[in-house]
Amino acid sequence: MSFRENLEGLGEFWKEFRRSTLGLVGLTILILFVLVGSFGQYLIPFPGATENWRNIDFWQDNPQAAPPVWTNLPWGTQAASSEFLTDAKTETDELDGGVKQQTWTINYNFTADQAPRDVIFAFAGIGQVPVILSVTRPDGKTIEVSREQMDLVEEQLTRFSVTNTGAGKVIEFIRGEDAEIATSMLADIVKPTRLLFSKIASDMETNPVMLKGEYVFTIKALYLTENSKVENPTVRISGFVSGLMGTDISKRDIFTGIIIGIRWALIIGLLTSLITVLIGVLLGVIAAYFGGKIDWVINRVYEYFYLMPIIPFLIVIAAIFKITIWWLIALIVIFFWSGAFKPVYGMALQLKEEVFVEASRALGASSWRIILRHIFPMVLPYSFAVMALSVPGVIVYEATVSILGLGDPSIVSWGQILHDAEGQGAVINNLWWWVVPPGLMIALMGMSFVFLGTALDKILQPKLKTR
Amino acid sequence: MNDNKPHYFEFDDQDVVLEVINLQKHFPIRRHASEVLAGAHPFVRAVDGVSFQLRRGEILGLVGESGCGKTTTGKMIMKLLEPTHGSLVFNGEDVTHTGKGSEIHYRRRVQMVFQDPYASMNPRFKVKDVLEEPLLIHKVGATKAERVQKIRAVMEKVKITPYEEYSERHPHMLSGGQRQRIATARTLILEPSVIVADEPVSMIDLSTRAEILHMMKTVQREMELSFLYITHDISTARYFTDRISVMYLGKIMEIGPSDSVIDQPMHPYSRALISAVCEPVPGKANELKVLPITGEIPSAAKIPAGCRFHTRCLEAMEVCKVAEPELLKVGKQHYAACWLNTDEETRRKSREQAVAQLESRAKTA
Amino acid sequence: MTTNVLEVKNLKLHYFTEQGVVRALDGISFEIARGETLGLVGESGCGKTTTGVALLNMPSPPGRIVEGQILIDGIDIVGMNSRQLRREVRWSKIAMVFQGAMNCLTPVYTIRQLMDETYREHTDKYTKEDANASMLKYVNMVGLPDHILDRYPHELSGGMKQRVVIAMALFLEPSLIIMDEPTTALDVIVQAQILNLIKGLKKNLGLSYIFITHDLATEAEVADRIMVMYAGKAVELGSNEQIFGLQGPMHPYTAKLLAATPRLHQKVDELAFIPGSPPDLIDPPVGCRFAPRCPFAKAKCLQVEPTMTEVGPRHQVACWKAIKDSDYERQ
Repeated sequence: MSFRENLEGLGEFWKEFRRSTLGLVGLTILILFVLVGSFGQYLIPFPGATENWRNIDFWQDNPQAAPPVWTNLPWGTQAASSEFLTDAKTETDELDGGVKQQTWTINYNFTADQAPRDVIFAFAGIGQVPVILSVTRPDGKTIEVSREQMDLVEEQLTRFSVTNTGAGKVIEFIRGEDAEIATSMLADIVKPTRLLFSKIASDMETNPVMLKGEYVFTIKALYLTENSKVENPTVRISGFVSGLMGTDISKRDIFTGIIIGIRWALIIGLLTSLITVLIGVLLGVIAAYFGGKIDWVINRVYEYFYLMPIIPFLIVIAAIFKITIWWLIALIVIFFWSGAFKPVYGMALQLKEEVFVEASRALGASSWRIILRHIFPMVLPYSFAVMALSVPGVIVYEATVSILGLGDPSIVSWGQILHDAEGQGAVINNLWWWVVPPGLMIALMGMSFVFLGTALDKILQPKLKTR
Repeated sequence: MNDNKPHYFEFDDQDVVLEVINLQKHFPIRRHASEVLAGAHPFVRAVDGVSFQLRRGEILGLVGESGCGKTTTGKMIMKLLEPTHGSLVFNGEDVTHTGKGSEIHYRRRVQMVFQDPYASMNPRFKVKDVLEEPLLIHKVGATKAERVQKIRAVMEKVKITPYEEYSERHPHMLSGGQRQRIATARTLILEPSVIVADEPVSMIDLSTRAEILHMMKTVQREMELSFLYITHDISTARYFTDRISVMYLGKIMEIGPSDSVIDQPMHPYSRALISAVCEPVPGKANELKVLPITGEIPSAAKIPAGCRFHTRCLEAMEVCKVAEPELLKVGKQHYAACWLNTDEETRRKSREQAVAQLESRAKTA
Repeated sequence: MTTNVLEVKNLKLHYFTEQGVVRALDGISFEIARGETLGLVGESGCGKTTTGVALLNMPSPPGRIVEGQILIDGIDIVGMNSRQLRREVRWSKIAMVFQGAMNCLTPVYTIRQLMDETYREHTDKYTKEDANASMLKYVNMVGLPDHILDRYPHELSGGMKQRVVIAMALFLEPSLIIMDEPTTALDVIVQAQILNLIKGLKKNLGLSYIFITHDLATEAEVADRIMVMYAGKAVELGSNEQIFGLQGPMHPYTAKLLAATPRLHQKVDELAFIPGSPPDLIDPPVGCRFAPRCPFAKAKCLQVEPTMTEVGPRHQVACWKAIKDSDYERQ
C-alpha cells in the first residue's frame, strides 16, 4: 500500500475519531502531557532539579513543608512567598590604587502581610574577596547586614543567611534609628527578617506592621587580586508559601517533581506498552496461524504469566536486586504481553478462517506472506487500542513499586513522590499538597489513555466484524 | 500406479489434465465418553473414495446436496486440505504430497473461484492489489509497469473496464457480479490450466447470474481452460457443464455427459434430484410434487452399509443393503453406481458374496 | 361480499436515512383472496421483503409507512398501536416466516420452549394446556414427530428447522402467512419437500400465502398469482398461467427475468441476462424505472412513468409497450 493510500485511510480514521468526545479529551490531555514533558525543563523554577532531586543541599534555601502560593487567598492574610531573585544589575568601579569594585543590585517587591522566614544571599566566586551585603528599604534606609572577607571556592555556592547570621547587624541598625526600641532586643531571640521588613515602631518586635514596597539588595565586592571574582549573585526569599504546589519536608518543590515526573511516566507507560503489545501481537498471530505445538506452547507460557501475581513478584525482585527503571520496564513487559496476546490471538484465529486468507493460500502465498499482508494489517489498528488501554496499568505498577520504596532512585516518578509523602507522614501532618498532585496526575494520565483507548477500540474493533 | 486407476477412466492420458483417484477425507469427530473408553475413533467420512478425470478444455460439474463432500473434494484438489487417502495426478505427475518447490508450480496452474467473492478478497485491498497479489506470489512481471499491464489485460478479459475507474476501488464498492468478475480475473491472471469454481454464482442475483456464467464460459473457451464446477444447482450445471457427476454422501453416484445424465438419469438419486428441481412452467401451483425419495440424508458419520443410498431409495432391493455397487457403464461415457442397472444373476451373486464376506469377518472377530 | 383476506392500497414505505429518503415501497396495490397464494418476485433490493414487513406494520427504523391502506378482513391496520397489532393482528391474522428464521432459533432453548414463547407473546388467554395441545397439533401437521418438541435446534436438520418455523407461524391460526424465501437456503430435495408441505397446508387449512422469492421457477411451483416487483414498484401482476403460460409475460422485465431462469429440461446455448443494475431508490429515474435497462425503451418511457393497467382478466402491467400506448407506438 502506498503512502498516499495510508494517508487517505488516516484521514478517514480522523473523521471518525473526531466524533468521539471522549477520544478528543483523551488526546488533548495527552498532547498537553507530551508538550509539558518535553519542554518541562524550561517551565520548572529549579533548573537542574532532575539531577539534584535527592541532593539536600540543592533544596536548602526552600522553606520546609510550605503550602502552595495560591493558598494566599485574596481576602486573607498574605504570607510571604518563596522567591528566587536572579535579576541582578551590575556595575564596576575603579577605586584608587587600581582596585576594582563590583556592585550588584537586586530589586524585590515586597507585598506580604508577614515577613519572610529568611533572606539568603548566594553567590559563587574565586579567591579572598571582601564583600558588603546590604538592604535598602522602601523608606530609603539602608541596612548593612554583612561586611567581611569571604573565602570563595570555585564552583561552590557561598551563602549568607540573614536569619542565621545577620541578627546583630539588624539590631545595630534599629539602634541607630531609635536606641530605645533596640534595648530589649537580643540577637539570639529576634527574628531579623521581621525587623528588616517592618516599620520602625516600639512594638515592632511583637506586633510588626509590614513596610511594603520596593526593597533593593546590594552586593558589593572588592577585587584585591587579579584573579579574584564574584559571579551570579542571587537573593533567595524563603517564605511561608512556596511554588505552585508547595514543598515537602525535604524542602523540595513539588511542582518541579510533578513536571519531571511526566517525562518518566510517559517513557515508562509508552515504552512498556509498545514492547508488550508488539510481543503480544507477534505471539498471538504466530500461535493462531501456525497452530499445533507452537500454539500449545505459547498458550501455556501465556497462562503461566497471566496467572502469576505480578505485584508480589515485582516486590520480591525489586527488594532483592535494587533494580533500575530499565529492569523494571523489562519485568513489567514480561508480565504485560499477556494482556495484548489473548484478543489478538482470538482475532487471528478468526482471520485465519476467512475466505480471503484461504484464497491467498490457494494462490500459493507463503505463511509469512499471509501473516504480513493479510493478518497483521487487520490486527495492528486494534492493537493500538490495546496499547493505549495498557498504559495506565503500567504507570500504576511503576507507581506501586515506587510507593513501596523499591523504585529506581535515579529517576523522579510520581510514585516515588507519593512514597516519600507516605513515609514522612504527609497525611498525618495534613500536608495535602504533597499527596494530592501526584495522585491526581497518575489518575489524569491513566484517564487520558483510557479515553483514547476506548475511542480507538470503538473505531478499530468493529471494522473487523462488519467490514 | 496405472493399475489403481478405476475401470471407468476411459480418456487418454494426453487428453486429461487432472486425475483424482480414490480420494478420501476423513475428519475425526468428538467422541462420547463411552467411545473414548472403548478406544474407538469415529470419523466423518466427508469424501469416501472419489475418482474422476478432468479433460483439457472441459467443464465437469460436481453436483450434490450440502454435505455430499463436493466442497471438500474441491479443497483437496486445491491442496487446502490434505487427503486422508488417494492421489491427485496433474499432467501425468502425482502431486498428492509434494514439497514446497513443486507445490508452487501446481498452485500456479490450478486456481479457485470461491462462493462468496466478497469474503474471498481482503477488504483492505483495492482491486489492483487483489489482482497484483498472485503476480507477486509467483514473481510474474519484474516491474510494476509490467504487472499493471497484465492486470489491465485481465480486467478487460472479464469486462471490468476501464482500468482507471475500477482499479482504485475496494471490493465493497463493486456490485456482486463485478466482484465475482474480479475474483475470476485473479485466477486467470496466472494463465492456469484448471479452475475449481465452488458455487461461483449462488450468491449473485438471478438477473446477473447468467452474465457471469456466460463470461466464465467465454474465457474458458478462449483460454482452453478446464473447469471443475461445484454446485448444488443442477439447472445451471446443465447450461454450464459438459459432464456432470452426481455425488451423494462422499461418493460419485453417477457420472456422464450432462445431457444424458439429466435426460436419462440411471441412478435413483439423480432421478430424485432432477425431479425436485423447480421449473418455470405453469399449472403446478396446486398439485403436490411426487418425489421418488424418502427421509433425510443420513449423517456422514454413519454411512449406511451396502449402497449408501438404499435407506432413502424407493426401489431398494436385498442386495443394496449388503453390497456396494460400483460405477457401471450405462451409456456413452455414462456410468452409474446402482444394482438396478445389473441383471438378476449378478445381483444374486454379489449379495451372496457380500453376505459370506460379512459372516467370515464376524467369525474372525 | 368480499372474499379478500388482504387488500393493499397504494402502500408507500420510505426509509428516512442520512443520505436521503429511500423510497423502498413506492405505491403498490394488490389483493389476496382466501385460499390464494400471491408470489412476490424480483431482484434483491426491489422491495419484496419490505412489503412483507410492511404488511405486519413493523417497519424497522428509520422506515415508516407514509401512505396507503392495509385492510385485513376489511380492517385497516396502518393506524393501529403496537399492542393492538401484537394481540389482534400479528400471528392471529397474519404471520410471517422470516428469511433465515430457521437459523435464528435460539440455541439454548428446546423447540417446546421456543414455541411456548411465541404463544405467550401473541395471546391474551394463555394456559399451559392450550399451548401444549396447540404445539402438538401443529408440529404433527408439518410432518414432525412429537419428540421433536424436546429437542434443541442444533439437533435438527435444516428441513426440520424450517418445518418448526412454519409450525410456529401456524400456531395461532392466521388466515394469511407471509413466507420470505422459505426454501432458499435448503437443498433441492428438501426444498421440494417443504414446497409440498406448504401446498398441502394451504389445501387443508384454506390458508392464503404471500410467497416471497427471487426465483421465478419456485414461484411457478407455488403461486396462484405473481406480482413482479422492480425498484419499489409493481411492474406486473398476473396469474400463474398468464406469467408462465405459452403467451408469456407482458412486461419486458418479467420476460427477461424468465429468460434468465435456467430450465433443467431445455438445453440452451446462452442464458439471457439483464445488463446494468437496479436504480438508486433515493433518486429514481423519471419515467419508467426499468427504462434504462429495457431493450424496448423509447422516449415516452424515459419521460412518463407508466401505471399498473389492466391488460387481461386480473392481469395488470405497468409498461407503455404492453398496453399499446399510442404515443409509444408512434415513436
